[in-house]
Amino acid sequence: MARLETFPEPMRSHLAKLPCPSFESHPWAPGPALSQRRVALISTAGLHRRGDRPFDGMTGEYRVIPKDCEANDLVMTHVSTNFDRTGFQQDWNVVFPLDRLKELVVEGVIGSVAEYHYSFMGAADPSQMEPSARNLVGLLKEDRVDGALLVPV
Amino acid sequence: MGALGHYLESEGVPTTQISLIREHTEAIRPPRALWVPFDLGRPLGVPGNPGFQKRVLLAALTLLESSAGPVLEKFPDDAPAQDVGGEPDGWACPVLFASDMPQPPGEASFLTSLRREITELRPWYDLGLQRTRRTAVAYFQPEDALGLFSSIIRGEEPPLPRQISSLALALRLAAQDLKAFYFEAVASKPGLAPPGASQFQQWFWKQTAAGEILRKVKEIYSSASDKDLKLAARLFLVPLDQA
Repeated sequence: MARLETFPEPMRSHLAKLPCPSFESHPWAPGPALSQRRVALISTAGLHRRGDRPFDGMTGEYRVIPKDCEANDLVMTHVSTNFDRTGFQQDWNVVFPLDRLKELVVEGVIGSVAEYHYSFMGAADPSQMEPSARNLVGLLKEDRVDGALLVPV
Repeated sequence: MGALGHYLESEGVPTTQISLIREHTEAIRPPRALWVPFDLGRPLGVPGNPGFQKRVLLAALTLLESSAGPVLEKFPDDAPAQDVGGEPDGWACPVLFASDMPQPPGEASFLTSLRREITELRPWYDLGLQRTRRTAVAYFQPEDALGLFSSIIRGEEPPLPRQISSLALALRLAAQDLKAFYFEAVASKPGLAPPGASQFQQWFWKQTAAGEILRKVKEIYSSASDKDLKLAARLFLVPLDQA
């Protein structure tokens, strides 16, 4: 279980000591009812299309994953060896729930699925991700996304 | 993860997120987060269970309709147990390695054993791929990973594939791909449930030549003068709890 107190050492200390940024402001962007939202997935699992560049280093950049990407087109090159990958190997939805999101559209729970989804490599320092994240905003707005679901690994 | 939510929301994009480490999310206080008590690497809980995954997804998305924040909610249930091949200490690899064959002495024996493991796992991997049409092996076929690690252990200049820019990156990707190959091979044997995450981890790192080779490569480069190579060797080849 991902409860910090249950992790064996040295993982517990490693995770407990990871620096977390703190923010003075707490932004809050409003939006319509869930049934009208257009949702994009933003993963930090170091995912990308098979032919794309692997994640290399801690530069905070992202990769683009189109809506029609299929399970065998998506690979993972996150640097860490300290999380389970066998779940992703058996079913990509346990990390990147694109199939589930499409089902929620058919069921009328959400409005639509964005044309493009994104992945960062979560071991990068958050401050390194900030320029890329702010650059991503224009792309999300152009895609009319009003619900971004951030999924860690 | 939490910081990304803050950056996007401050530019006007509504966000919600799944949190795996509650303490991190409590410190960062992103706009909306659902803490889930699942294993790292499994933010939606469990593979092959669409109903459970959808419950988690919906719980996270519903936070978009909260009236004020920051919001940090807890998902109420643990991940359901997956049908895995036996108890944590009881799983045995269904592919029996011919480990009783005569072996050359010293480091060459690691490589001979690795070559033999790959040969014996290959048909199961191929059958699994034929059935699922999906593999996580991305850049290094196991035979190529063997070539890379063989060069390193023999003290030769290792060959790099054209699209891989450095030895540090090659090491990491080859190690990940080799592990993916082993899991997919042993998970594909018909009639047997795949090993659970910790069962596979224990087996790979304690009972295979592949695990031994990766530890050896880690040792070789742990004091490398190239800082990227040293970092990759020290942190990105062998998990902290298997070092």
